[in-house]
Amino acid sequence: MIDPSKPDLEESVNVTEAHERVIRGAAAASRESKLKENGAEPISLWVLIMCAVPLLAAGWTLGKAGKLFSYKDITREGYVRLIPDDGEGVKLPPVPWLEASIKKGHKEYSKCTGCHGADGKGDGASYPSLAGSKWVNGETEVFAMVILNGLTGPTSSGKTYGVMPAQSAGLSGESLAHLMNYIRHSFGNDASGGGSKPEAVVTKEMGATALEISGKRAKAGAAVTGDELTADHHKNLPGTPIDPKMMVDPITLEPAEAK
Amino acid sequence: MSAATPQTSDAIRRAEIDLSLRHPVMFFFTSGAAWLAVAILLGIISSAKVHSPGFLSDWGFLSYGRVQPAHMNALIYGWGCQAAFGALVWLMARLSRQTCRAAGLILTAGHVWNFSVSLGVICILAGKGTGIPWMEMPVFAWVPMLLAYAAIAIWSMIQFKVRPAGHVFISQWYILAALIWFPWVFATAHIFVHGFSGSPLMAAAINAWYRSALLFLFFLPAGIAAAYYLIPKVTGRPVYSYTLSSLGFWSLAIIAPWAGMQKLAGAPIPNFLPYVGAAATILVAIPAIAVAVNLLKTAAGAPETVVNSPTLLFTVAGLFGLLVTGFAATFLNTPAALPLSQFSLSQYGFDILALYGFFSFVAFGVIYFVVPRVTRREWLSSRLIKMHFFLSIYGVVTIAIVAIFGGLMQGHAQEDFKQPWENAMTYSYPYAVAITLAWCFLLFSNVWFFMHLALMWLRLGRRSSHPTLLGHGHHDDLHDATHGPEGDIDNAGPGSAPAHSHAH
Repeated sequence: MIDPSKPDLEESVNVTEAHERVIRGAAAASRESKLKENGAEPISLWVLIMCAVPLLAAGWTLGKAGKLFSYKDITREGYVRLIPDDGEGVKLPPVPWLEASIKKGHKEYSKCTGCHGADGKGDGASYPSLAGSKWVNGETEVFAMVILNGLTGPTSSGKTYGVMPAQSAGLSGESLAHLMNYIRHSFGNDASGGGSKPEAVVTKEMGATALEISGKRAKAGAAVTGDELTADHHKNLPGTPIDPKMMVDPITLEPAEAK
Repeated sequence: MSAATPQTSDAIRRAEIDLSLRHPVMFFFTSGAAWLAVAILLGIISSAKVHSPGFLSDWGFLSYGRVQPAHMNALIYGWGCQAAFGALVWLMARLSRQTCRAAGLILTAGHVWNFSVSLGVICILAGKGTGIPWMEMPVFAWVPMLLAYAAIAIWSMIQFKVRPAGHVFISQWYILAALIWFPWVFATAHIFVHGFSGSPLMAAAINAWYRSALLFLFFLPAGIAAAYYLIPKVTGRPVYSYTLSSLGFWSLAIIAPWAGMQKLAGAPIPNFLPYVGAAATILVAIPAIAVAVNLLKTAAGAPETVVNSPTLLFTVAGLFGLLVTGFAATFLNTPAALPLSQFSLSQYGFDILALYGFFSFVAFGVIYFVVPRVTRREWLSSRLIKMHFFLSIYGVVTIAIVAIFGGLMQGHAQEDFKQPWENAMTYSYPYAVAITLAWCFLLFSNVWFFMHLALMWLRLGRRSSHPTLLGHGHHDDLHDATHGPEGDIDNAGPGSAPAHSHAH
């Protein structure tokens, strides 16, 4: 009657039939009635269907995981939503063109901080300072050629540092323009010469022209030298000047009316 | 007294086991119940601060950033873990047919655990918390807790090892799993987060895993172990399907360790981690369905017993809670709902649903079953039990529905970047008020539960061999709704009781 392999569930103590007082605690046991057999019911169809729902949902979710076990893909695109340009999206307040350009250039400058430092001062030994440099603050074409092609030999101060590598890879004309504007208006530099002459800023078109000029150099691909800069590039980049105080959208840099 | 029949020797054995564990089990249950009341009180304060920031704002130690973690830690380590320890220790002893020979040590370890949690919660309120969710207690609390855990759990494993050969009950699978998974999860998380100074981002990911693993790899198996014991035991029916049992156990063991990192979706960790975590959390619905369907089918064969038995009423309600937890896990972690549920009330609602709607209800079921056995007294009042049950149901259903749904509304409002941030707060305001109210219900129900339990602990329960049942049975002697009929005194045994009628 009692299955010795299932002792506790197989309690068959029937209190009404036990005609003697058994030990303490037996009464509690009297409520624990008998277990018949182990269940062997098959899994019914509706349980399987119920389980299929989470399976499908999990498959959908895994499908969004991108490449499984890829440690390179960080955060799925679109998870953090961008403000759509639906005409009624919240526009950021307009800012002067130069201010917006400098802000964008600041992001570009992150590639330069490794050598020239976040404060643009370099280290004085291997890396020259960008603050107060004649080439940085002078003719824009000179500065653009140094950035795009790198520099070897003495700098404008006459001192020779290491070789500066070319930075043209992946740099668009627009990025170059913003970068130049940032450097020429930061670290104490003031390329506008105290005033607000239109030619003090580098426009998108000027940046694009700089890329063209750089591509047509005689020794294309090689780092420029001070001699070459003085000989070929001692001028400002050609292009229509822009009013640095024009109010623009800080994202697109398109002219915008102040609200 | 005649020679012991197999039945009586069996009963003697059970009585011995119950007696040997009386003190540690009663300690875990009563101190757990007291912690539950504390946790709920803190929950009321923290929830009130969501909608009324000025509430109690003069006291720095009751600021939201301290009360909310104190609330969760008291709930998890004060109530949840202690209730689970009491249940697991008792169940393993009973199922392995071994008296406990280390009750003193377990009791001591229980006090160490309790002391560490008390100190930890006080430190959180004093502003010394670590700020890492569910791991807010200062670093010094974790080592004694782990050691106390080891002292509590090791004897259950030994009992399993030396059990009479043969059948291994389904409950025993889950007890062993819970006992082994807990130190793994607990030690791994704390060593990696507090021990090594790795990347803080990785620490956040490990912490997210820990929260989910503690839920799915400790509280879930502990509750399921108890439910697999109680329902067949009290209804006297075999488990509905062993195939479903295996499916439930192994799917949980395989799926649950992967879950958790979806809490970091959108954070700069490898993209597949949050999505695998979300998929695993969704799949936790499968063991939840398998277990809940299996046991509800078992209980469905004895509907009258379910209505009458306090144990079954709570356990069955807990199993419905498990089903709902499974559905909520599926729903909240789909790619569509994930951004809405991540930074809103929904996450809290899900945690409370699993911790309270499932685990705590089953733990109440265990307490209503075990305490009369280890104290040899019956519950004093079926009214108190009913009140506890219905107020708890109202409370937890309100919290779960309101927090999950209200959280989605809040998340939706947060996503609407064209509106000011206060808009999201306005959306969640009525839901937050409802949550406060629901915690008040739960506090009311649990204060009475704690007093009822404390009277049992003082051995002031009814001296009768009749269990306290809830419903009106068909027999005349069950009509006393206060606490059931009086029987022979001192629980001495069934021999002299003509009133025993439930075996007709």
